Amino acid sequence: MVTIATTQRRRRSGLGMAMPAILLLLAFFVVPVVMLLTRSVTDPEPGLHNYAALLGSPTYGRIFFNTFFVSGLVTLITALIAFPIAWALAIMPRLPAGILFAVILLSMWTNLLTRTYAWMVMLQQTGIINRMLQSIGLIDTPIQLTNNLIGVTIGMVYIMLPFMILPLYGVIRKIDPAILQAAALCGASRMQALVRVLLPLAAPGIASGGLMVFVMSLGYYVTPSLLGGTANMMLAEFIVQQVQSLLNWGMGGAAAFVLLVVTLALYALQLRLFEPRETR
Amino acid sequence: MLLDFGKLGSWKWILIAICTLTALFLLLPIVFIIALSFGSSRWLAFPPPGWTLRWYEELFADPRWIQSALTSAKIAIIVTILSVALGLLASFALVRGRFRGRAVLRAFFLTPMVLPVVILAVALYAGFLRLGINGTLTGFVIAHLIVALPFSIINISAALETFDPAIEDAAVLCGASPWEARYRVTLPAISHGLFSAAIFSFLISWDEVVLAIFMASPTLQTLPVRVWTTLRQDLTPVIAAVSTLFVVLTIVLMVATALIRKGTSK
Amino acid sequence: MTTPYLHIDGIRKVYGEVVATDHVELTIGESEFLTFLGPSGSGKSTTLYILAGFQDPTAGDIRLRGQSILRIPSHKRQIGMVFQRYTLFPHLSVGENVAFPLRVRRMGRAEIEEKVRNALALVRLSGFEDRMPSAMSGGQQQRVALARALVYDPPVLLMDEPLSALDKKLREEIQLEIRRIHQETGVTILYVTHDQDEALRLSDRIAVFNRGRIEQVGTGAELYAGPATRFVADFIGDSAFLAGRLATVSGNRASLRFPDGTVATDVPVHGGGTVDQEAELMLRPERIELTREPGPEGTTLPVTVQDITFLGNNTTVVLRTGWQQELSARLSFGHPLVGGIGRGDNLHIRWQPDVAQAFATP
Ligand SMILES: Nc1ncnc2c1ncn2[C@@H]1O[C@H](COP(=O)(O)OP(=O)(O)OP(=O)(O)O)[C@@H](O)[C@H]1O
Ligand SMILES: [Mg+2]
Repeated sequence: MVTIATTQRRRRSGLGMAMPAILLLLAFFVVPVVMLLTRSVTDPEPGLHNYAALLGSPTYGRIFFNTFFVSGLVTLITALIAFPIAWALAIMPRLPAGILFAVILLSMWTNLLTRTYAWMVMLQQTGIINRMLQSIGLIDTPIQLTNNLIGVTIGMVYIMLPFMILPLYGVIRKIDPAILQAAALCGASRMQALVRVLLPLAAPGIASGGLMVFVMSLGYYVTPSLLGGTANMMLAEFIVQQVQSLLNWGMGGAAAFVLLVVTLALYALQLRLFEPRETR
Repeated sequence: MLLDFGKLGSWKWILIAICTLTALFLLLPIVFIIALSFGSSRWLAFPPPGWTLRWYEELFADPRWIQSALTSAKIAIIVTILSVALGLLASFALVRGRFRGRAVLRAFFLTPMVLPVVILAVALYAGFLRLGINGTLTGFVIAHLIVALPFSIINISAALETFDPAIEDAAVLCGASPWEARYRVTLPAISHGLFSAAIFSFLISWDEVVLAIFMASPTLQTLPVRVWTTLRQDLTPVIAAVSTLFVVLTIVLMVATALIRKGTSK
Repeated sequence: MTTPYLHIDGIRKVYGEVVATDHVELTIGESEFLTFLGPSGSGKSTTLYILAGFQDPTAGDIRLRGQSILRIPSHKRQIGMVFQRYTLFPHLSVGENVAFPLRVRRMGRAEIEEKVRNALALVRLSGFEDRMPSAMSGGQQQRVALARALVYDPPVLLMDEPLSALDKKLREEIQLEIRRIHQETGVTILYVTHDQDEALRLSDRIAVFNRGRIEQVGTGAELYAGPATRFVADFIGDSAFLAGRLATVSGNRASLRFPDGTVATDVPVHGGGTVDQEAELMLRPERIELTREPGPEGTTLPVTVQDITFLGNNTTVVLRTGWQQELSARLSFGHPLVGGIGRGDNLHIRWQPDVAQAFATP
């Protein structure tokens, strides 16, 4: 009796056990981030001038454009590739599906710098990609693939692909094949069944994966800065540049704030749209 | 019958083609870099004019590479231990706790995963400069721990959720103290979750670049920081050698995970 | 000979090592309601899936009005189907679900609207057009599925245990609906179930499946009165089997000797013919008469009362033969023996010569 009573009392709370993690996050996550954001309105002098400059000038507008454009493009391309892959993974025989899975996980878990480095080498003027394009006659002279947004897009698509495939696979696998059989008997050709049934049923996965890829791309630093070069800066690189090279903490903080707001807003949207449906 | 592989007709071949091309796309950089690490061309020509172990020799001859690898390992191990410990406690609170706002707390614990890491890096950089722990092991560990913790919590709480607390109660009724029951009954039952948490935490710390760039000092650098600084100067094949070792490590960890999964699912 | 409306001709389907169906041979008339009845795994769904085009048979053919349909892909077969699981398109409203087959056929808007309205009226769901499937009960969803399968006037409607997920009362209600719809539309229906009551209630004819083969085809009454195999006798209705050996055989009639020496004479025997072969005598509990005195030689057997259960409209008496085999008899309410017998009493059973059948054990 006594032990049961203590067991129950012990269960009632439990907040204490979360305390170490809470304190860690408060001290080294919440406080520093809030302080950084505060600097955006206090540094170098109080006021909103950092935001005015950031959102008002065309130079900075270019950075926002790059960020959103590349993120959008990466999201679109990954979605286009990921849908057939996730679909195939969901219905393929065990062995090929297992192999494909292993390849996806390997690419996902390989060190980020390794992957980026590989693309830097492959996309060089004398790199293998240019040579392949030349040999199949698509281009005559090598084209510039690094230090611009093409390189960034290719590298980011490579990195983001697993994050699109995996949630989409989860959604498609849960669709009852009998629903597609019903569509076929109803007279829908493969194309009609794809457009009218499979795609709409997979749409939550596409939207959720897409949102995730988009949000991750917005704040990505390593790949854009190695493959994009300084001329084609994206938001994360801009923040680093302001803070590290220019010691302009106010402007860095303002840019960080914008990135944070967009990210958290999209994250909240994601939770609202997709969490309740998944738990139901 | 789009969800019946055998009844896809010609579309089956389209899917197979897309899968094959994508698999090649995903494998290409990895295979390519492994090949180049054994190639003799200083300029990374492909196919390599000859084969050599020179880049590995250069790598192992340079004490700075060894030093930063050791630093990385040390940080990653400390982070793994702390991340699993804190994650275990936090997961117990999230899954078994009976207080209000658990959903909010859960979301709070996961935010470092969603927040662009560059923001955290810059913010911690400023904070650590003030505290004077920038460029120290402590700084590294704290920074990596913050991004590793969410993954640890996700894995452990998922395992804990599938474990019926009644079994723990049964152990208590058998005479075990509550803590003993947890240690002897619950922990072994969720060991696969703890293991995944450890693997994730280790890999995240080991691979972390952005935070590390800001935490590093000229005397204390992790392996990714060395790779990063080297990469910004030139694309030396030594990096290909390092990369190959990274890939090998990843494969080893993946196989270990797969084996353990198989072991626990039986 | 006229070509049958639908001819399932020697269908065989093998999955790897498993023979799912073998020698399935069946003709179905236009507007007929035919049910596949059989235990789990007996190949009912497989046969239906081959008709629908989800599976290709290993051998055999299926002809509709004399034309083979095996080469036609599912979406061009025009066949209607209601599945065991709920297969409404979850992202479409009820009206859109029913309209789906018409939209993919590119029909005009007005025509679609009218057909959808009629189809929903047929399943008594008028006014539910804008509901989403998730907001409907299982029974309603299956009725919408029925409307969706009928809206394009299919030559054959397949139903694979459409009611198995519903509770008993609802199931009986929808069974009546299905009967009515069958009568109103005259559609040819192939129905799958493993519930004999459902099969008897709904169908014109029943095909009894066992281990991938059809054991017997016939109306419910035919199967009940004249089961061709022990399996059918066991599966349709309640039955008691008494084990013995064939004593004499002449043509397809025989006499059986039980272990206690009693003999049952002149019963039709299925599947056998040699003297001393093991065989079982099949009796329906409601046709077994229970008496204190033995009946005429050859149609009677001494038994001991084991247990008596009062079940309202009848009383079931569990009996034991001299060689310790159990069987039960049913006494209707008001039977003179009810109340007059107790456990351990020695009684006799007797049967009319025409209700007993024997099945030789192969
Ligand atoms: N896709 C498949 N792969 C392998 N074997 C299968 C497959 N589908 C069915 N079978 C096997 O074929 C046999 C017949 O199955 P079928 O589904 O036709 O039975 P059923 O009569 O519909 O049973 P139930 O009443 O359980 O639905 C079973 O032994 C089953 O295990
Ligand atoms: Mg079935």
